[in-house]
Amino acid sequence: MKISRRNLIKLSATAGLTAFTATSISPLLGVVNVAQANPRKKTKITPFNFAVIGDAHLYEMPNHRFDKTLERAVNDVLKMKPKPDFVVFIGDLANFGKKEELLKGKRILDKLRKAGIPYKMIPGEHDWYLDLGKFWKKLFGSPYWSFDHKGVHFIGMNSILVEDYWTARDMTPWERMLAIAELECHICGLWGVGEKQLQWLKEDVKNLSPDTPIVIFTHSPLWNYYPRWNFQTKDADAIRDILSKFEKVIAIHGHVHQVVYNRTGNMVHIGNLATSWPWPYPPVELPYPKIVMHRADPGDIYDGVGFATTYIDDTFLGNMKYVEWADLIPKDLKNGIPL
Amino acid sequence: MRIKRYLLTGVLAAGILTTLIIKDSKSKPPFEEEELKLMNEELINLVKKGDELWHSPKLGTNGLTCANCHPDAANSNPHTFPKYQSNIGKVATLREMINWCIQIPLKGKTLPEDSEEMKALEAYSIYMHRGFKLKPGDNEKAYPPVRVESGPGYP
Repeated sequence: MKISRRNLIKLSATAGLTAFTATSISPLLGVVNVAQANPRKKTKITPFNFAVIGDAHLYEMPNHRFDKTLERAVNDVLKMKPKPDFVVFIGDLANFGKKEELLKGKRILDKLRKAGIPYKMIPGEHDWYLDLGKFWKKLFGSPYWSFDHKGVHFIGMNSILVEDYWTARDMTPWERMLAIAELECHICGLWGVGEKQLQWLKEDVKNLSPDTPIVIFTHSPLWNYYPRWNFQTKDADAIRDILSKFEKVIAIHGHVHQVVYNRTGNMVHIGNLATSWPWPYPPVELPYPKIVMHRADPGDIYDGVGFATTYIDDTFLGNMKYVEWADLIPKDLKNGIPL
Repeated sequence: MRIKRYLLTGVLAAGILTTLIIKDSKSKPPFEEEELKLMNEELINLVKKGDELWHSPKLGTNGLTCANCHPDAANSNPHTFPKYQSNIGKVATLREMINWCIQIPLKGKTLPEDSEEMKALEAYSIYMHRGFKLKPGDNEKAYPPVRVESGPGYP
């Protein structure tokens, strides 16, 4: 007898590509208590949606399983109705920072651009530590940026900068890459954005009024989740401080390969799924233990992975919906998580 | 001292020098402190070998390692075996599950269940869950490993 979860549980939902549910009726509002923004407040936002894809971890070898899952995410975005205004790729396109991996990823992501959907990139550690970001920057430009879109100020930062752990150890670029490619690297140290980007961020938001809606993307979370796996950003406190003047900030991160949610001060934080594989939950208490994903079937390459679509309404209430392919998201989260 | 020790210097596959302890037939607890220390060192050597294999793409063919999905051996749930494993279709031991992972997600060749490599992988997984209560048959939860502040997670 062979029991499969797939046989036991009828899939009730198709991927959430259509019909955005208004956040105001989400059953989670009570749980997460996010109704901090005055829903009646008028802003200059024209409602829109965007998608977040990340943690593709492409390997050099052809027809790899992670090619298929990234391609599926891109194809799903291409089918979205309404079409997303843009896509943010939230880091770790490559697994070992190799040119072939990054070029393969760009080829897949460029399908979006060809279909009229622009995408923005931030790097992850897997993209970076073979050549310290040289080839990534050549392909994708600056690793930190900001832009305004329909009344919202969007920021992307490079949060994976560590102190030099390789020179004193006389490591080759490949050894440096292999070390940090392990989540539990215990010689790599904690990463962050560094002083230069903090100064840039200060300048970037200096002239923005406190009622400006802000969305910030970083590869790693801007809160202290589990430093052991670099589920953190060393200077997150300083970033939160710079952004503390705003009424509300939505912070979206990758790296954790899992559904996770938190709130700090004026910020709401949410983690994106990977298209490659799911990470386990670390040995710490979750701030919102109900906002989690199911266990994945390790035999199904489409389980445990996915991406997200985010709808921003005219009052700057967001709704992030995980798009999954194998009954990963609990029923009460399927309509999205209010941001 | 009731343990005779023959120190054999050898290089293991992992390149680690190890000490071989051979107990004589009369050795039994209580052991002396030094004996306990040596026995523990033997265990840690096996755990270390398991750690290296756990992070090695050599077990598979698609570049993946055990650690892709199981950092610090998280969610390997060694204390929940044996249990009915739906993807194997029968009650499985931890070693059978490790072989399933090598064969399916890693696309590799299974290891003989009594091989040194298998023992090492099992030792690493169990050591990263030291202190956990045995829960054979538990299919409900995935368990994080022991909380590690620094280092590899073992002495």
